[in-house]
Amino acid sequence: MKKILLILLFFLISSCSNNFEIVDDLSKTNYELVDQNNNSVLFPQVAKGKINVIGYIFTNCPDICPLTTNNMRLIQEKLKKEKIDGVQFISISFDPLQDKPETLRKFAEVRNLDLSNWIFLTGDKSVIDSLMKRVNILAVKSDSTTFKDGRKIYYYVHTDRIQLMDKENKILKNYKGSSVNVDEIINDIKKLN
Amino acid sequence: MKKIFLLLILTSFTIAQTKIEIKDPWLRPNAKGANSALFFIAENKTDKADTLIAAKFENSEVVELHETYKKSEDMMGMRAVKFVVIPPKSNVVFKPRDLHIMLIGLKKDIKIGENYNLSLIFKKAGEIKINAAVRDMPKMK
Ligand SMILES: [Cu+2]
Repeated sequence: MKKILLILLFFLISSCSNNFEIVDDLSKTNYELVDQNNNSVLFPQVAKGKINVIGYIFTNCPDICPLTTNNMRLIQEKLKKEKIDGVQFISISFDPLQDKPETLRKFAEVRNLDLSNWIFLTGDKSVIDSLMKRVNILAVKSDSTTFKDGRKIYYYVHTDRIQLMDKENKILKNYKGSSVNVDEIINDIKKLN
Repeated sequence: MKKIFLLLILTSFTIAQTKIEIKDPWLRPNAKGANSALFFIAENKTDKADTLIAAKFENSEVVELHETYKKSEDMMGMRAVKFVVIPPKSNVVFKPRDLHIMLIGLKKDIKIGENYNLSLIFKKAGEIKINAAVRDMPKMK
């Protein structure tokens, strides 16, 4: 009987502690970015003290990034329903020449996104490029469309990713942004709460 | 209510005319200047193949047939395709992470809850008019 209790106790304890292998520790990094309202934001400092769901997008993306964004929205809604707070959503553009704060604001607006705990970030190309390198997001220009007036827009072949970051700016896990199982992320968040 | 009846009448008219049926058309929201994508199910009820060759949308500068593809384990990209064959007695599903009609350079904001008229052009069936709802994901089955 004692043995069984001990085993039970062991499982209880091990299921309480989170068992993530740290993907990367960003706590010593500092990127000066700007949010959808044109406010300066220091990343990852803005994420400190919160559990963060981070998505990487470009707004000219027709398929993958809207799915990633929608998955984040689904996570946000489920957490609200389950009354789990302390989670922040961050969408970062890897196409800063195209994605200005205003572009990001509109991207959120037409989707009726709840921005009470969600920020969209962009910044100078050099800063964004070095951040993307650090977090292992690849984005390579591929196809493009040229409009009648000569303007050209590019589409990127890019890493399809959502990341989970803890309160100390450690990246704990990578997920496929467009096809992630929303419940997997929610369960991981619960392990941290 | 009248609108719904009219829509029903129009839809059934289209089906009778073409024998290619377009089901559940929807498009993604996005802001003026950005892009959207149109998704639907194309059902070919005839015993001959037909080919989707183009599409029209008055609220975007360019319309192209596209597909999303997997470049490597976690890299995704998109490319234009020239046409899409709809085999006889079968469905081709235009869906996220797959085939889509790319609406490039939106002339206005396309918002959730709105509806838009578009048309699809098939080699045999000709132009099929559709009315698509703006949503951020397909209807849950
Ligand atoms: Cu496309």
